[in-house]
Amino acid sequence: MKALVTRRSMRAMILMLASTVTGCVVGGGYDSGASVDYGVGFYEPYGYEYGGWGPGYGVGPPRRGYERGDRGDGHGAPHPAYRPAAPSRSMPSLPSHSRGR
Amino acid sequence: MVRKAPVHEPVIYTALMTRRGYMKAMNVALSVAMSVALSAALSAALSVALSAAMLSDVAAASLVLPPLVQPASNEHHDGKVIWVDLVTPDIAGAKHFYGELFGWRFDDIHGGHDDYSIASLDGIPVGGLVQRALQPGEQHQPAWLTFISVRDVAAAERSIIAHGGQTLMAPRNYANRGRQGVFADPQGAVFAVLQSSSGDPPDVLAAPGEWIWSSVMARDADQDAAFYQDVFGYEVFENPATDGATHLVLSSDQYARASLNSFPADAAKRHPHWLNFVRVTSAADSAARAVALGGRLLVAPFTDRHGGQVAVVADPAGAPFGLLEWSETADQAGGQSDGQQGAK
Repeated sequence: MKALVTRRSMRAMILMLASTVTGCVVGGGYDSGASVDYGVGFYEPYGYEYGGWGPGYGVGPPRRGYERGDRGDGHGAPHPAYRPAAPSRSMPSLPSHSRGR
Repeated sequence: MVRKAPVHEPVIYTALMTRRGYMKAMNVALSVAMSVALSAALSAALSVALSAAMLSDVAAASLVLPPLVQPASNEHHDGKVIWVDLVTPDIAGAKHFYGELFGWRFDDIHGGHDDYSIASLDGIPVGGLVQRALQPGEQHQPAWLTFISVRDVAAAERSIIAHGGQTLMAPRNYANRGRQGVFADPQGAVFAVLQSSSGDPPDVLAAPGEWIWSSVMARDADQDAAFYQDVFGYEVFENPATDGATHLVLSSDQYARASLNSFPADAAKRHPHWLNFVRVTSAADSAARAVALGGRLLVAPFTDRHGGQVAVVADPAGAPFGLLEWSETADQAGGQSDGQQGAK
């Protein structure tokens, strides 16, 4: 009987322990890196795609004074969700001076 | 006489009707009591272990990062990308790849459970490498995590949440580094904010081999621009577009900080993200070199609006980054005509 009790106890204990541990697992699409010190161990959701890039698909920085688009300046374009920079503001660019090393 | 229990009667009642049943019931009760006691004991032990793990997590000081700026300065540039961390399953492979491609050197920092390495070029820190195991078959994207400068991480977090973003890693303090947290914008692009305790790097033109530019790839560029403007206070400029996509420029301190672009096509199938660019003297040569070192070409070099070539590659573990040419002489010429030359 003692052996039987022990076996059942062990089974029940394993089930409860498994459910406890499962409850500790963080869900979602990111690796939480829960047991590390730095914590910035975020793998992002898989599947970046870059098809469709090419001439015309401009992602780089503009040159200073580069022509601005006219969206949101009251010429019939739909008002964007953001607040466009004032029309008097010229297109910004990257810093032009180097570190000088 | 043994009473045969109807099927629907509770087993415990039936069991109590016989000595054997009584023993069986006692057996079950004892079994339950023991398992509860054992589970309680194990739960307590597990709690202690988890608490210890959390304490070690809180004691992030065990991984001591160098200050962002040495010597410390009072410079601060809201909204500027001031740091990047590569999260990779193969830190040794990453060191070889980026060392060969850009001439970066690496200083390992040991602390806690982490393998962390600071990459530098000519003594200037350019980013961090974090080793994180990726299980076979696990589909996660190794990536460069973008850190944006803020003056107050707590205020930034409140603003991010209020405008539809979410916290992925709650803000924490790191000795010498400052306070930082990891978040996702409303469309899912992951970024970090950093309140540097040593000030921000100065606004200078990146040298070849340094990070020079950042882009956000979004499903809805308008909505995403509103989010980043509300959180970081960016000025938003629109670029003329000929491809049907939306191309915006986020600016602070009168410098362009990042572009924000809608996906060129199939937006629903793509995951929004930040993409950072290293300045190179030849995007074509660097892209070919990246492939020779085990990387992958994602976007073949093409001439962008600034007149230089741009390409996108992935390192051998799959982390994407951009290669961008930037001519100082063209910039010094500057002005509208220069910009129009850049617009293809």
